[in-house]
Amino acid sequence: MDETHISRGFRSKRQEQTPKNRVPPGQYVTTDFPVLSAGPTPQIKVADWTFALQLNGSLLGKWSWDEFEALPQTTIKTDIHCVTKWSKLDTTWQGVTFDDLLKAVGLSEPPAPYIMAHCDGAYTTNVPVADLVGGRGMVVTRYEGLPIAPAHGGPARLLVPHLYFWKSGKWVRRIRFMQKDERGFWESLGYHNYGDPWKEQRYDGD
Amino acid sequence: MNNVSDLVLDGNATALLLQQIFAPDIALAKIRCEACDCVSSVGSLALYAAPMGVVLHCADCESVLMRAVDTPHGLWLEMTGARYLRF
Amino acid sequence: MTATETSVSSRRIEWQLAELRDVVIETPRVKSLLLRPAGWPGHLPGQHVDIRLTAEDGYQAQRSYSIASPPEDELLALTVERVKDGEVSPYLLDELRAGDQLELRGPIGGYFVWTGAMGSPLCLIAGGAGVTPLMAMLRHRDRSSSRAPAVLMYSARSLEDVIYRDEIDAMARRDNSLRVVHALTREQPKDWTGHRGRIDKCLLAANCFPPAQNPAIHVCGPTTFVESVSGLLVELGFDPFSIKTERFGPSGG
Repeated sequence: MDETHISRGFRSKRQEQTPKNRVPPGQYVTTDFPVLSAGPTPQIKVADWTFALQLNGSLLGKWSWDEFEALPQTTIKTDIHCVTKWSKLDTTWQGVTFDDLLKAVGLSEPPAPYIMAHCDGAYTTNVPVADLVGGRGMVVTRYEGLPIAPAHGGPARLLVPHLYFWKSGKWVRRIRFMQKDERGFWESLGYHNYGDPWKEQRYDGD
Repeated sequence: MNNVSDLVLDGNATALLLQQIFAPDIALAKIRCEACDCVSSVGSLALYAAPMGVVLHCADCESVLMRAVDTPHGLWLEMTGARYLRF
Repeated sequence: MTATETSVSSRRIEWQLAELRDVVIETPRVKSLLLRPAGWPGHLPGQHVDIRLTAEDGYQAQRSYSIASPPEDELLALTVERVKDGEVSPYLLDELRAGDQLELRGPIGGYFVWTGAMGSPLCLIAGGAGVTPLMAMLRHRDRSSSRAPAVLMYSARSLEDVIYRDEIDAMARRDNSLRVVHALTREQPKDWTGHRGRIDKCLLAANCFPPAQNPAIHVCGPTTFVESVSGLLVELGFDPFSIKTERFGPSGG
């Protein structure tokens, strides 16, 4: 077919009244919260949960669930953008900022320029540290005031909302500092290494 | 809070992306897990990661058997988690 | 409209338009759409199609639906269940009118098919709308003169949710080699003599052909249903490779 067939009377559920400057190119706003997982949802008990920061094979810090909850908490309202073209506006998250994690392990400066986030289910994603400091990145435990559901990454996920949402790794368990950038799960299989939605950096080569 | 918009057929939806790569019917192939030696029919495996790509996990030990992504710059396939595919 | 085994996998499957010719109301939440595609190559029972809807602003939604009609039928039947707050099913059920065109591609899938050529007994286990591809198999089987014995175990919430009910019961009445077992999980009529509650290990043991007879087993329905039934069948001694599964719905999400 030369032209795409238009389905008479079909209207996207996803179109809302939105200011254009909040929606990156190629995205559609949704009021749903679609679930996309690279594997089965891990069933994680908070009693067994730990979170760690690592550098060169040694631990900078490790927290149990109660210890993590005792760290300074920050709540933000932000927009999130999935590479599969949906965007969700004004989502509220609560957790610990990357800055506060660094403070908690006694670091005034990040010890390396890159991190790899390691998540349950063998998922990984790499992020430059510059994109996490200054409040740009968090490890979050609450969505809309409630504990994050397992399907959405609970009990804790990474949140880096200014990048495509695959970078906000679900079920995060440790953040490993790296001197050199390495590609994570999707980044090593055709997706863009950085993932800026405003530049539509979806795929490697974009 | 979370939702499924509509009924979606999975499992054999795997077929279309992977089928672009393989000549014989991929869903009928058997795949052996590198980590635990379990053998499964590809068509019987649950499909993960749609629409970002296809990720197949071992039914027994859950390690990743095979991953595929279709991009405008080419189609990627990785199967280091599989000892073999048998058609 | 027939297809051969060899044509199943190697073609590149392109989008085409199909005209909606008729709509059949199956249950309060389910309708079947009868379509005439522009160039249908034929299909095998158990295969499915992808449907694509495009809005005027270019937004697209795509879903897969099992083919409910057998290869022998002139029109292609898709059975659609209403999904609450769904994006596509309300359009297909409420908006689409006879004469409208629907974009689809197929047939897709070589794994879940059954054609009766093998001759082994057939065990079909359906959860809710998962009965759709199994109905294509039963309708195809009904058209052939030689039939291996078959059983359909069909789980639905209530009697009014049983899709194709009259047709299935009529098939069973006129065919001694087909047995049908209904399981109603939420509501049963007062005089109900069928199974109450979910399909369990006992019901499977009592109704599936024994492993020694090497039945072809097809399980279709929501993911949790399929995984639960498959697990029980393996416990009953069936070879996992003899159990073919089709899951409706996302996995692990």
